[in-house]
Amino acid sequence: MLDRAELLGLFPEILLWDTTLILLVLGMMVARTPARPAAPFVRTVAWLGLHCVLLAIVLVGVGIPITINSIHDILLTDSFTHCCDIFLLVGTAGTIMLIVDHGGRDTLRAFETIVLILLSTSGMLVLISASDLLIMFIAMELQTLCFYVLAASKRDSECSTEAGLKYFLLGAFSSGLFLFGCSMVYGSTGVTNFEELGILALTRSWGVPDPSTGIPIIGILCIVVGFLFKITAVPFHMWAPDVYEGSLTLVTAFFSIAPKIAIFANMVRVLNHCFHDHDWQSLLFFASIGSMILGTVAAMAQQKVKRFVVYSSIGHVGYLCIGFAGGTTMEGIQSLLIGLLIYLFMTVNVFGLFCAVRPVRSQYLGDLGVFGKLHPLFAITFSLTMFSYAGIPPLAGFCSKFYLFFGAIRCGADVLAGLGVVTSVISCFYYLRLVKLMYFDLPGEYMIPPRLDRDNSIVLAITVACITLMFLYTSPLFLVTHYMAMGLFAESGVGFSGSVA
Amino acid sequence: MISSALCSPFNLTGLILCPIAGVILAGLIPEDRVRFVYRIGLCTSLFTFLCSLLFWIRFHASTADFQAVEAIRWLPDSDAYIVIGIDGLSLFFVVLTTFLIPTCFLVGWSSIPQRKEYTIVLLVSESILIAVFCMLDLLLFYVFFESVLIPLFLLIGIWGSRERKIKAAYQFFLYTLLGSVFMLLAILIIFSHTGTTDVPILLTIEYGERRQLLLWMSFFASFSGKVPMVPVHIWLPEAHVEAPTAGSVILAGILLKLGTYGLLRFNISMCPVATLYFTPLIYGLTLIAIVYTSLTTLRQIDLKRNIAYSSVAHMNLATLGMFSLNIEGIEGSLYLMLSHGLVSSALFLCVAGLYDRCKTRLLTYYGGLVRTMPILSAFFLFFTLANMSLPGTSSFIGEFLVFVGVFARNHSIAGMGGVGIMIIGAAYSLWLYTRVACGQLKPQTLGRCTDVQRREAFIYLPFIAGVIWMGVYPDVYLECLHASLTTVVQQGAFELPRSEDVGPC
Repeated sequence: MLDRAELLGLFPEILLWDTTLILLVLGMMVARTPARPAAPFVRTVAWLGLHCVLLAIVLVGVGIPITINSIHDILLTDSFTHCCDIFLLVGTAGTIMLIVDHGGRDTLRAFETIVLILLSTSGMLVLISASDLLIMFIAMELQTLCFYVLAASKRDSECSTEAGLKYFLLGAFSSGLFLFGCSMVYGSTGVTNFEELGILALTRSWGVPDPSTGIPIIGILCIVVGFLFKITAVPFHMWAPDVYEGSLTLVTAFFSIAPKIAIFANMVRVLNHCFHDHDWQSLLFFASIGSMILGTVAAMAQQKVKRFVVYSSIGHVGYLCIGFAGGTTMEGIQSLLIGLLIYLFMTVNVFGLFCAVRPVRSQYLGDLGVFGKLHPLFAITFSLTMFSYAGIPPLAGFCSKFYLFFGAIRCGADVLAGLGVVTSVISCFYYLRLVKLMYFDLPGEYMIPPRLDRDNSIVLAITVACITLMFLYTSPLFLVTHYMAMGLFAESGVGFSGSVA
Repeated sequence: MISSALCSPFNLTGLILCPIAGVILAGLIPEDRVRFVYRIGLCTSLFTFLCSLLFWIRFHASTADFQAVEAIRWLPDSDAYIVIGIDGLSLFFVVLTTFLIPTCFLVGWSSIPQRKEYTIVLLVSESILIAVFCMLDLLLFYVFFESVLIPLFLLIGIWGSRERKIKAAYQFFLYTLLGSVFMLLAILIIFSHTGTTDVPILLTIEYGERRQLLLWMSFFASFSGKVPMVPVHIWLPEAHVEAPTAGSVILAGILLKLGTYGLLRFNISMCPVATLYFTPLIYGLTLIAIVYTSLTTLRQIDLKRNIAYSSVAHMNLATLGMFSLNIEGIEGSLYLMLSHGLVSSALFLCVAGLYDRCKTRLLTYYGGLVRTMPILSAFFLFFTLANMSLPGTSSFIGEFLVFVGVFARNHSIAGMGGVGIMIIGAAYSLWLYTRVACGQLKPQTLGRCTDVQRREAFIYLPFIAGVIWMGVYPDVYLECLHASLTTVVQQGAFELPRSEDVGPC
């Protein structure tokens, strides 16, 4: 039986599940009534879903972040998961807010989209607090299954169908690899719980030829590769551009925000908490280098809006992976979390802008012209976000890059810091190109400036305020992430050794 | 100390926030009343100028400590404070910044499109530039040093004059950024080894020799682009030529000073051993730059490009004087920077006056200016003479002190620099002036032009007053600089090798 505290810890998940069911039933009933034959019910469902997510944020927020092991130790709630939950829910709320207004438009007829988003969010909540290989895999599958459906949700578009198929095949493949890794670990240790694996890893040495005495490296590498697939790090990024381009813009927004948070949180938990030796580190090292270089070089040649965003997000995943290069140091994890949060703000902002211009026509970057003249607020918002992506100082993107490079230098990964600095200079070139398109170029044909609806404007205003003003008062961000990293290391009892300079 | 500073009404934070208040006001002006926005910009910048004068008045010239220091906690766990303060090195740059910005508003009073955005961009860049010179924290210095790129990129790109402006904006941005990232790495290294980025603390730390060389090179990579030294000076003529007048004034008047200010504050003060080691490199680069750009100036036919190249020559002379590493040389170099901030900005204003009327900057279309525009020609002559450092103007004092300093270190270098700047400088200045103002009147461009209006004439007056005041009575400025510079020279122990150099040759 669950006791009171465990039940309290699971409250947000329970809320999301219940809302999902209620909305599903409600949607089915209302959408099929003969009285309102063709009324798309999406707007209402999205609105309700948004409030459910906001309520979940409040629930997580007011809960005291005590360490709870619930349901026979397969879920672990502590300060780290607590804050990650909030990040994730904020990201989801931001994405749904972008969707609300699209309910009335022709693009999104099926209210199931919202239901699926809520369902996958609950899966990601479980993923963040997973403390067992099995529950981790199940949560990840719940999330990705929802994503397969979401990617293929626009049935009359060939691109969307193709995206769904590609995503499904490669996602299933990576899940298979991941599961293989899990079973290797289980087979050689007989344990699936993170806590126990961590203890095992402390007592046994790695890479012992006899597989029965230690955790096999192959198993861990398979798990890491599975993770790299999910976060679209470089050698395993092939699916991302096609999938992101094919899906609906709103779905793409959700893809590139929410799962990154959940999977990075889970990666930190698994890699630093239970496999806290450094065999996996070289793999992430190379993934980081590869992602930075490929993200930078490939984004330079893009003409389409969404492909551009994908490659730039691949580059940012590379920067975030620098945080792992520090291994078990506090700075590494802290910089990763800071980078993740700032990435969240910037990406929500960019997709808010793209959703706003979407109905007009926004497939190509060249279409972004005129906004400098016709919609100056839009243009300045977009430019600030681009400067922030490029890491130009007073903006938030600089805070994240600076601290990531600082973490890298602190732990001796000078190569990563140097390469990151160089690639971020090169990346300035194409971020500036967008600013140039916006302001300096005169387009051949004029199009109607976008209508920014109310919810979208709120999201944009909040994120732009965060991006521009963050450097004035960074203390809360640094304190929260510091607290999270502390919470992560408090149980495992390792990690402080590395942080001493 | 900190709390009392925060309570006083006119402190540095207030000075930095002054233009920001103007930005907020200008942002609130509705679209249909946009005419009004320019007055707000002008009034805010004038008020900021008056406030900055207050700092000059209250400045204690007898101490080398940082004054008007304020500290605000920034990062929680790493002792990173927002520390601002001024000393003799930075005081006049702050005043120069606030002096030049109202001019930028006045010069484009009638001809600028998109005024609201223009006002906001100018005021934001003013605030950032003041912050750069006040910042006593290495990391935040970097933050503001870089962040001025954003408003200036937009300024050049949006309000620039021709199609080439995009290339110019790109070059400006990427040259500066590429250099500065090395500085970022150096800052990260310093931060991770000392745990602080507070400049007064960092000035007391002595690094090992190898590390000093590394740090020095990283900082130099950044500042040499801004100065600009010779291999990386290409962005400057492009950016100057394509920028609007206000952009040229800010670029020439303030932005070039960032590089030399950074060299003095960080390279010379923080890495004295490496500074002595690299002095020949600086001498070589600056001499090449002085002679080369002076010769290049001779064959330019674009008015703005002409002045831009002569700016390169003068800034390199300032760097040469700075690395003579004695008090006269460094004082002279700072003085030359201030004077150049006035003179070359005023020359850009003159060119803007011509360009607004004739819509061309090519020298071949000009001639006989005195016949149609006598007043503008008089102003132009005055500033041309000041640019070639006629005795009695501010540049003369600066160059004289620079050469005194460099002569004490090395005769032949001073001689070459002197030949470069004095003779070729006089040649290009006079030739430029005669080609524009004397000779046959060219009626197709200058025939219908009227002389300067009253508003335009008033813009030049403060510049003339400043140039003459600095030229005949330099002591007001020098006494504020003296204490801080003495400390820099004594801390670096630069005076020791001097006794070997000086002597009967």
